[in-house]
Amino acid sequence: MTETIIRRRIEVLADEPLIPAIERIAASAGIEHYTLLPTLGGMGHSGRWRDDQISGATAKVMFMAVTSAEGAERLTALLSPLLATHHLILLVSNVEVIRSQRFD
Amino acid sequence: MAIDALFQPVVLFFLLGALAAFARSDLAVPEAVAKTIALYLMMSIGLRGGGEVAHSGLTSAMLIAGACGLALSFLLPLPAFWALQKLGRLDRTNAAAVAAHYGSVSVVTFAAGSEVLRAIGMAPAGFMVAVLALMETPAVLTGLLLAKRGEAEGDAFAARGGLWHETFFNGSVVLLVGSFIIGVIAGEKGFAPIAPVFDTLFKGMLCLFLLDMGLVAARRLMDRRALSWRTGALAIALPLANGTLGASLGVAAGLDAGSAAALGILAGSASYIAVPAVMRLALPEANPGLYLGMSLAVTFPFNLTLGIPYYAWVASTLHGMLQP
Repeated sequence: MTETIIRRRIEVLADEPLIPAIERIAASAGIEHYTLLPTLGGMGHSGRWRDDQISGATAKVMFMAVTSAEGAERLTALLSPLLATHHLILLVSNVEVIRSQRFD
Repeated sequence: MAIDALFQPVVLFFLLGALAAFARSDLAVPEAVAKTIALYLMMSIGLRGGGEVAHSGLTSAMLIAGACGLALSFLLPLPAFWALQKLGRLDRTNAAAVAAHYGSVSVVTFAAGSEVLRAIGMAPAGFMVAVLALMETPAVLTGLLLAKRGEAEGDAFAARGGLWHETFFNGSVVLLVGSFIIGVIAGEKGFAPIAPVFDTLFKGMLCLFLLDMGLVAARRLMDRRALSWRTGALAIALPLANGTLGASLGVAAGLDAGSAAALGILAGSASYIAVPAVMRLALPEANPGLYLGMSLAVTFPFNLTLGIPYYAWVASTLHGMLQP
């Protein structure tokens, strides 16, 4: 049976112009490996939003990383004060991974 | 003149898009296609303007128009900021972010306005494209000063000069200025071989883009949670005041009626491509639904249908009175 290890999956939904800053903050928390996912649209507390490639100001991108519990805690601590002011959504969940050394 | 302007295909396609959105039609232009056409329009506007400047050379009218454009872009956010705070009841950050949009310009409003002006015999001078490029950025600086965010470099989100880089090297600014310079260097001879793409196709591509903008603007208007009747009214009052000022300044500065009308269109337009991305980075606390709702869902359709003919009327009337 394949051995799996528990790691933390962090997802940050942010407006596209803020993504370079999220990447920098993640790097400062020691998280250098991540994936950026495009989104089509949705409905939030401020109303409907859609992919918007013309201005890009409200197009949203999902930043996704799988890391250790300590790394997840560092990034959560850095992003938490910015959630309300910068309109970010932060999700943290447990995932099972294979090859755990890739997600330390 | 106003009726002629309203019945131009570019305006009619915009209205078609808006009607389709209001009717909840499934009509859609793929985002990547719309983005490509936006890039094409900026390249075409820059190349054609640069080509015309290469033909006419550096003139005093060009320098005067540039100075007027710079002054307008720096200063227009000031009264807008006051009105947005006092009449619109916005907080300082939101008022500053919205004011920056109204000091900057809309490339597509300018493109549609230029086509309308040509159709009614008031073609603006080619150098107005350079004025358009000059007016993109100063309002952003004024907006940031108004928000008292000179220290924004200290913000984790604006670190490493990202904000200033985004302001001055925004994709639309780079493409517009770059294409303009290429147009100047290439001149008429260099432009001729690529004219079938960048000149002949221009009006048709603009129609396609405005069809999409009609859909986008109307859908944003239907999702208008961030807009109040006060901010909605200001989204019409601000372009009217700014456009009147711009057209009047153009005539007073001695520009021809078409160029003065174009200056009015630029002053009356509000950015919805370059500035929102910068403001999202610089003033993340400001509500993007508010500034995009005002500039894209209200001001842009207003300018396209009523604003452009009005600015043309102001310019031609004042030009007739002052320079018979």
